[in-house]
This record gives sequence, C-alpha cells and structure tokens, in this order.
Amino acid sequence: MRVSLSEKYELLGCIQCGRCTAGCPVSLRTHLNVRRVVYDGMLGTGPKDAKGRPEAWNCTTCSNCTERCPKGVKPMELVIGLRSAAIEKGRIEPTIRDALESTLKHGNPWGRIRDKRMEWAEELNVPVAGEGEAAPLLFYVGCTPAYEPRTQSIAQSLVALFEAAGVEYSTLGTAESCCGNEIKRMGEEGLFEMLVEGNREEFGGHAVGTIVTGSPHCMNTFKNEYGEMSSDTIHYSQFLAALIRDGKLTFPKKVEKKVTFHDACFLGKHNGIYDEPREVLSSIPGVEFEEMDRSRERALCCEGGGGRMWVEAVEERGERLAETRVNDAVALGADYLVTACPFCLLTLEDAVKTSGNEGKIEIIDLAELAAMAL
Amino acid sequence: MNIVVCVKQVPETAEAELKIAAGGKSIVEEGLPLQINEPDNYALEEALLITEDHDGDVTVLTLGHESSEEVLRMSMAKGAATAIRVADPVFDGGDGIATARALAAALEGVEYDLVLTGCMASDDGNTQVGVALAEVLGIPHATYVTQVEVGDGEVTVGRELEGGLIEKLKISLPCVLGIQTGINEPRYASIMGIAKASKREISQLASGDMGLSADAVGEAGSGTVLEELTFPPAGEGAELLEGTPPEASGKLAEILKEKGFV
Repeated sequence: MRVSLSEKYELLGCIQCGRCTAGCPVSLRTHLNVRRVVYDGMLGTGPKDAKGRPEAWNCTTCSNCTERCPKGVKPMELVIGLRSAAIEKGRIEPTIRDALESTLKHGNPWGRIRDKRMEWAEELNVPVAGEGEAAPLLFYVGCTPAYEPRTQSIAQSLVALFEAAGVEYSTLGTAESCCGNEIKRMGEEGLFEMLVEGNREEFGGHAVGTIVTGSPHCMNTFKNEYGEMSSDTIHYSQFLAALIRDGKLTFPKKVEKKVTFHDACFLGKHNGIYDEPREVLSSIPGVEFEEMDRSRERALCCEGGGGRMWVEAVEERGERLAETRVNDAVALGADYLVTACPFCLLTLEDAVKTSGNEGKIEIIDLAELAAMAL
Repeated sequence: MNIVVCVKQVPETAEAELKIAAGGKSIVEEGLPLQINEPDNYALEEALLITEDHDGDVTVLTLGHESSEEVLRMSMAKGAATAIRVADPVFDGGDGIATARALAAALEGVEYDLVLTGCMASDDGNTQVGVALAEVLGIPHATYVTQVEVGDGEVTVGRELEGGLIEKLKISLPCVLGIQTGINEPRYASIMGIAKASKREISQLASGDMGLSADAVGEAGSGTVLEELTFPPAGEGAELLEGTPPEASGKLAEILKEKGFV
C-alpha cells in the first residue's frame, strides 16, 4: 500500500499559520509557497512530484521553514520528497541529472575526474593517508574546494594555517568522495546511501578520529546524517577558533580592512555555529568588523544550497538574494564580505558582478582572510 | 511499436591522461569509469519516448563482458522491458561487421518494428555497427538521425548533414536508425531504480545458442584488423604569444592580417 505524502511527512499537524512561507527566503522572488505545498500534501491534492511542481527546485534547503514551524512539521522534507519522486521517474533538470551521474561516476558533482581531485595541492606538501594508515585528524577537503578554481584557495589557505599552527593532519587524497549533503537535498536517497556507506568504510579504514571539513555542507551531513560514527566532525572555523584559544595559531601580520560576515545557512541555521567564525575574525589584527542587520539566525540565504549550484531557479523575479546580500555589505562600507562556505563564496562573488558592485567589495573566505595574516 | 536498442559500454575518457596498453592495441582502462556510450543513451531515450506514445516494449541488446550488464540494468531502470547480452569470448576483437552479425543472430525470434543504435561508439569511433546490422538483417537504415516521427508502417526521419542541413527521409518499417546525440534529453536512472532492476533477468546468449560459426564472429570473422594504436606525433608550429592581454592581442591581430584571415 502506498504511503500518502501526508502520512510520510506527518503533515496533519500543520495549522496553516504561514510562518514557514513568511520565513522562506526564495518566496520573496519565486512561486514557491511552502505553506501551499504542505496544504496540498495534507489533502492529497496537487502535484505529487517536482516535475509537476517545478518550483520545488527553487528551495535552497536553508531550513528556515522547519525551524520556524510551531507544530514540528518539516516542510523542507516534503519539498525534498517531491524532488525524490521526480528523481525516481527520471524526469529532472539535465543539470541535476549531470551532477548526480558525475557523483556516481567520479565521486564529485562537478563532472571532473577523480585523478584530478588533488590538483589544488600540486605545489603544496599535503599529507595523504596511505592504505590502512591511521588518520587521527582528517582534513576532509570537499568537492568544491578541491575542484572549483576560485575555492581551491580555501583548501590552500587551510593548509597554510595548519602548517603555521604545527598541526599534524592527513587527507584522503584522490580517494576522497562526495559527502552527499547536496545529493540528499536534491532527493537522490539511493545515491546518498551509497555515498554514506562508502565514506563510512573509508573513514573506518583509516581509524579517523576527528574530521575537519572545508565546507559546512560536508560537516552538516557527516555530523547529523551519517548515523553512529566513531569519528566526530567539526567545521574548520571551529578548529581554527580552538587553535587560536590554545595559542597554537597566531597572526603576525595585520589585515587592515573593514569586514562583515555572512552566516552560511549550513554553518549557522542548521548547526548553530555563529560564535567561532567571529572569534577567528576578531583574532585577526587590523580587521574592523561590523555586523550586517540580517546576521546570525536572521542571515539571508545566498541561494547556493539545496542543489541550487546545479539548477537555475524556476520563474524567478527581481534581485537575487545574493545581490541583496552584497548590496547590504556595500551599504555598510565593508571592503570584504567574509563567508565560511564555498557555495556562498561563489554565489556572492557572481552577485558582486551582476549587481554592478565590482571594485566596491570583495568576497573573501574566512580561511583566506586568516591566511592573509600569517 | 516494439523497439530494439543496441547499446555498448565504453570507458569514460574525458580529461583522462590515456596510456596505451601493453601490446599496443588498446588503452589502459584501469581507473576509467565505465558508462553507456553517449549516442546509445540518446537512442535508448528515443525508444522510451516512442513507446510512451505508441504502445510497445523496448529491448536492450549488448555485446560485451559481464560489466556491460550495468548498462543493461540502467536501461531497464529507465524502462526497457527486456535485456539481452551476447556473452562469449569468441566474440572478442570483432570489427563492426562481425559485431553486427552477432547482434543480428541475437535478434532471431525477437519481434521488433524498429532498431535504434547510437550513430557512433566513443571508443573506436567506427560508426559501422548500425549500418552493417541493417545490411545483415536485410532492412533499410538511416544514420545521424536527429528527428523521428512514427507513421503507419513507416518512419519519417531527419538526418543531420553538414552546415546544419536536415535531410528528410521516409523509411518503411522495420528499419535501423543510427541516432545522433542531442535528439532528446535523456532521463535519469536512480540508484534505487537500478537496484530494483538488478533483480530482473538478463538473457545471456553464447555463440552456440545463436547458430553462429566461429569464423563468422570475433577476430576470425573480421574484415579489418587493428594493427596498432598510437598517439598522434606532437607537431611543431605552435607559437605562444607573450605579453599582457593588450600586447598579445595586438600580436595576434598582426598575425591574422599577415596570413590573410582578416
């Protein structure tokens, strides 16, 4: 017997208060009305998959709706469920299809081959754990810092910071495979489970103690969705903050810039990590820091998460959220808009260009900023 | 409208630094992911689309080693009803014509109205199997097909020619069509879908089952023999223009004028 959407996602608790839609960042500029999606789900009306309801692909999985629901309903899960239903029918956007097929074939959604996963480290001395070798501290780079040219400097900056702090660490080298966070959010449950199985085996084979991730997306899924793991996972901002507190990482140079910080959804909203990145920022000498109005829990999603790096929003209107964010930072008079997520970095940097703010502000990753002070 | 789609599993070579294997007649495939030949993927999708509009079943057929069953399972996950693998070491090393004989023999007793193949395989690039198959089966064919319209006992197809020209042909059924990439947008086969398809049977045929003699197939049955595989020699004549973008583009403009391109 087929389980209804209402049963599967426990939608009957919904009182149609609308807090979900009111908090949904993309509802500002697309037709995605998550209150309506839940309504149709409850009554068994409306399209049963994302093919019939294409605005389901606009969701960035920022989880505002789920955080705000007073009745414990998870509208975001339902939206992902609609995507899964479309995936099982095979009827999805070609760019999503390509990202999923690439992840299966090459272990990353970017269409790049596995052999080139360590190209970012060519000029550096990055330790790779050999077969069966223990990796008590694993630097899990992530597909985007590994392959995407602009964000490779996140990985390179982290290596410089680890070396400056005398940290002993290792990486998985070209054996590193996609964490699956975005795969799960695109709705490919089967592929996600395959990645989980493979990664757990890989971590187990190296007796990994602590995983430090380059991206909050990877941290999110390892920490919250991989089940019981013998390793614990932290984001690099937490790791750097601890190194600074312990006096192991110091910054001899000044970076005399006015900066503001964009809280990435998967670092902040999903995992409550707001203080540690700010601790790192305030430890860098010369930095003048000012908060944007929409900061911490109220930060405005850049529209990079939830598979959005691989699909354009449907029927969008007006300014992209990333452009709004960039304009906010420019209005503050900031030289740098700092972020700690590779998707935010790429999305915000594109927005600098499309909003006509080129030359007025730079998007810098927290790791890059810290490395400038070495 | 029952359709047979011939598919092939090939290595994915994008970006890879290829190496010639010992013996000089093949590339080192270790480390290269295997996938369905891209034009075959479009052929499969076209078959599925046609049978969605015109009742019928899709049968996928391959000649390959055990790993090629992954392609058959993926095809079944997408909607193919039946899968056949021609499996026998005697078929190894066959050229396009020997392969076509094997595929034709595998189709004995299979009811079909239309046979689709990818126009070309991305590993050998021979573009022979579809055409040879049509000849062996004694039915008409068209190649580089980018449009298919099903009629009554016939299909109207568009063939892609040079310069974007489309040649329209009416062909009676059954026939073989070599499908060009870009004709449609292939669907996705989910991991769960492929897992479900793994529980279904794939018929395996050996040369004995097919009434083929050893000298008609494989290397023995081939009219062409691959002698050697080599990289093209690195040529001379590449000039690297130095300088800032304005300087380099100035030099480039001079060269283009000098050589009469502008």
